[in-house]
Amino acid sequence: MALRRYTQSTDGTIPIQALLYNDEELFATQDNVGIYDGSQKSLDHQNGTVHITSHRLFYIDSHRPGRKSFEMALSYISRTEHYAGLFKSSPKITCHLSGDPITSGSHEQGTTHAHFDSWECEVCAYRNPPGLSPTAARVCALCGVPRTAVPPSTNSVLSHHLSRSLPSSALSSSTTLAPVLPLSAGHKNPVACPACTFLNHPYLRSCEMCASDLTKQPMGEYRSAPSSRPITPDPDDGDDDSARMMKVSFRKGGDKHSYAVLRRSLKSKAWEGSSPGFTSLSAVNSTDPDNGTTGGRSGISGILRTVETSAKGRETDMRDALQDLEALMVKAKDMVRLAAELNEKLTAAVATVPTDAGSGKGLADSQPEEATFIRSSLSQLGLQISNTPVTLDMMKDERAWFDELARELAGVLQGAPHTRRDDIITSGMMKSRGIIALDEVWGGWNRARGVALIPPSTFLQVLPHLTAHTSPTIRHRAFASGLNVLHTPPYSTAAFAARLSGFLAISGAKTTLEISREEQLTVALVTEMIDAAEQDGGVCRDDSSSAIVGGGSGTGVEVRWWTNIFVGYNWDGQDN
Amino acid sequence: MSLSTYTTTSGFLLPSIHSAPPFFTEQPNPTTQATATAQWSRLILAYARHKKLFILRVEDVETSGSDWDEILRNTRINRKILPGYLSNIMEAMVAQNLAVYEPVKQTRSVLVYWRLPEEWAEVLYDWVISTGQLNTILTFYDITDPPLESLLTGIPISLLRKAISILSKTGRSQTIAIADGEGVRFLARSK
Repeated sequence: MALRRYTQSTDGTIPIQALLYNDEELFATQDNVGIYDGSQKSLDHQNGTVHITSHRLFYIDSHRPGRKSFEMALSYISRTEHYAGLFKSSPKITCHLSGDPITSGSHEQGTTHAHFDSWECEVCAYRNPPGLSPTAARVCALCGVPRTAVPPSTNSVLSHHLSRSLPSSALSSSTTLAPVLPLSAGHKNPVACPACTFLNHPYLRSCEMCASDLTKQPMGEYRSAPSSRPITPDPDDGDDDSARMMKVSFRKGGDKHSYAVLRRSLKSKAWEGSSPGFTSLSAVNSTDPDNGTTGGRSGISGILRTVETSAKGRETDMRDALQDLEALMVKAKDMVRLAAELNEKLTAAVATVPTDAGSGKGLADSQPEEATFIRSSLSQLGLQISNTPVTLDMMKDERAWFDELARELAGVLQGAPHTRRDDIITSGMMKSRGIIALDEVWGGWNRARGVALIPPSTFLQVLPHLTAHTSPTIRHRAFASGLNVLHTPPYSTAAFAARLSGFLAISGAKTTLEISREEQLTVALVTEMIDAAEQDGGVCRDDSSSAIVGGGSGTGVEVRWWTNIFVGYNWDGQDN
Repeated sequence: MSLSTYTTTSGFLLPSIHSAPPFFTEQPNPTTQATATAQWSRLILAYARHKKLFILRVEDVETSGSDWDEILRNTRINRKILPGYLSNIMEAMVAQNLAVYEPVKQTRSVLVYWRLPEEWAEVLYDWVISTGQLNTILTFYDITDPPLESLLTGIPISLLRKAISILSKTGRSQTIAIADGEGVRFLARSK
């Protein structure tokens, strides 16, 4: 009968979890069920529990679990029907069974549990762990090459073909399999690849060289084999359809859920291959259970595919990790801001302490130490804030802001006085220059700030505050032409005019170019300054265009500067 | 850079500033330029008096060999005054009544007042008295080109007219129309 052909007994005293393969999952459990063998009630299995897993269907008898329980591979089930029940008849699930049944019976436990051994792959010497489902255990988990010396998986149609091609020695214990063991000699010979003609090992499913499918050709032989060969006589052979079905009767409900789980389990075909990629591949062949293959899991291509998969997984992990890093970077911005705020508070605290030094002497001692500690901690964290630009939101009011900006600008121009001497930053823009154009200052300052750039309008407002924070004082000066500069005292109008007059008095008339060389300033700047000096009557000009010989237009008009000879001149010519 | 005075071939003592090149350049600074203009005016007047020159033209700068060469040019420092500058100086002199455009309604030449018309009037009157020609009718030619050279020799007619008209206001001269032009008769100072 169907039950005898398709199921094998199980020790139901063992908890169901222990019966499962490592890659098998328990989906549903329903008690108070009875089993129909064909259309007749199976008297031995009338009260028990049904477990539906990804691979199998278990029946654990509640009275005599040790002897009456059985398991059945889902791969046999070709079709299912659901009967909702009527009056006194219980809801039932009908499983139509197909495929080559297990040979003869329930005493084949030895072969069944051979899968639970660990084994070493002949090809790559990988030690495969025990407890995998028959399909998974048939193939090396690392290299995908089928296990050669494996005992036949008696509850799997897929492995059935393999088992027939295995050496008989591996199955010597299984006397019942003897009739199917004789094999055509060709199966032991190398299989020529249809694409590249490489002679592959007969157990390989795809060519070792080109990975093309090798199974097609042998498959035809397999298909014809069962019909041409005698198999174990079975009393049920030739029975009608009822012989090939089994019913599960749900005496106390739960049929709908169980049926849904069963359908799902059948659909996913977990027994054909564990990884999702292979299920879809084998799904093509699902109509013919005989044709189920393990796809391209074998050979070099299989290894490559495994490597590829693991690389893909690693890449995904890496991307996740980098995402974390990016999130951290976003947070770092907040951290820097926090550090800047902290520094600002410290600066404020340090600034206020000296003013009331008389009242809080102890405070004055402790505070800078703490401040220094916190600052050094911040700098160790890479949050160097000595040159953090001052922004308006750090300040209480606009006036303080301008003041702070002026202090910052003074640092840019003259170098910060409190920073280390060997630091390059200490030398400001005006360290070696007494006068500097405003646009250059503005550009340099904003470059030093880096962020929160100062608009020109604010810049101009800061300039008047600059004198308070600079030593020597730096002042702003606007020339008649509109050129604006910052200058140190030696470059004020009066100082320059005096210096220029002295220079001209000693060394005679000079051109603008010669003066700019003497002053180490740009010609344009010197021109502006001389013009200013001339406006004040400090110098006078001698235009070479008034020369008698040479000069005039077109010969490079040149102005030479003289001290103002007209000042204090007394007539010394003829008076009458 | 020690500037020194220089005596020209005509015996004129040039001021030391004449040897300074900036003197020949118009100064943008108005204060400086005012000083420079004052020095130029004084130099022109002094030289005009020295050489008894009455008319200064802008063209005198552009053509060498004119009467004014010695002050308008300084060959030792290779400088000359530019026409525009001279024109400005002339304008300044006219404004200060140190000169007058001659002829009027143009700005290219001036009559230099190295003596003011009032001074010229006195000079003329003194000359008339000293030569004993009171109450005598004199033509302009008799005055500008007397047989015996006087201070008035070569005086432009327009300036002479001004001097005569100044004298006539105080009743010391009388212009008379005669056949071949104009005559003037000087009268004794009315008491």
